Amino acid sequence: MSEASRFTEDILTAANDKARTIIDEAESETQQALGQAKIRSAREAEDILNSGRAEAEAVRRRHISQIRQRLKLQEQFEKSKIVTEVLDQSRKRLMDILTDEKSYLPYLAALVTSAVREIGLDAVVVHVNSRDLNRVNAIGLEREIAELLGKSVKIELSGEPIQASGGMVVSSKDGKTRIVNTLDQRFEALEPKLLIEAGKILFGQ
Amino acid sequence: MSGLETVKVIVEAEKEAAKILADAQIRAGEIRTRLDSLIEEQREETIRAARKEATAMVVNAQSEAITEGQLFEKDARSKMREALGRASARKHLAVEKLVSILLELQV
Repeated sequence: MSEASRFTEDILTAANDKARTIIDEAESETQQALGQAKIRSAREAEDILNSGRAEAEAVRRRHISQIRQRLKLQEQFEKSKIVTEVLDQSRKRLMDILTDEKSYLPYLAALVTSAVREIGLDAVVVHVNSRDLNRVNAIGLEREIAELLGKSVKIELSGEPIQASGGMVVSSKDGKTRIVNTLDQRFEALEPKLLIEAGKILFGQ
Repeated sequence: MSGLETVKVIVEAEKEAAKILADAQIRAGEIRTRLDSLIEEQREETIRAARKEATAMVVNAQSEAITEGQLFEKDARSKMREALGRASARKHLAVEKLVSILLELQV
């Protein structure tokens, strides 16, 4: 081989080597960049999957929560119906007592006694409804109250009937102090306690 | 080979070497240019697969939630019926208690 040919070959070999290096570097950079991009894409994909998992869990929870809420409302409605029924029946039972003089008149005397004790006066006016005006007498009441209280109290029966299904109102003679013991008022005043007691019996363990 | 011919041969070799290097630079440029689209393709494919999987998760969850909800509702309704049945059976007791409270007086 001539000197010129060897020189030519050296030039071309060096060029080819350099060319190979240029391409190898480009490929290596590409592989590296692709690898990094792959890591970024994987992170992005993981975020999407995490969102999907969260959404799936939310879908599950939302559905169960809606059912739970619907059933809770229905249960409350049904429970409320039963409690209302019990209150109505209790009120009816109380009103039934009004028609039974044997039970009602002693109860009325007890109501008056309780009110007299509360008002703390020796002379009071008792106001009842028109039906009770016809079946209650002041003297009888005075006797019963004296027995129950252990002291005599002057009872005056008001001729003006009150609007109430039963029970009475006790007032001072001047009307300035009043104790309302009508059955309606009693029912209203005791309603919170009645609801609690009914709830305990009906729904307690 | 004369001196002139030798110089010609070397000049030709240099030209060829320059062409080899220029081609290599072009090829490297093409490789780098292709990189962006490769990255984008790879990203799109990964994201597409992830979205598909995420959508499937939600669809499955909806279906599972319906089944789970039915079981939950069945169980809850059964417990509710039981509780309401017990309450209904105790109504008369409650009425008795309430009437006694209403009639109860501190005399």
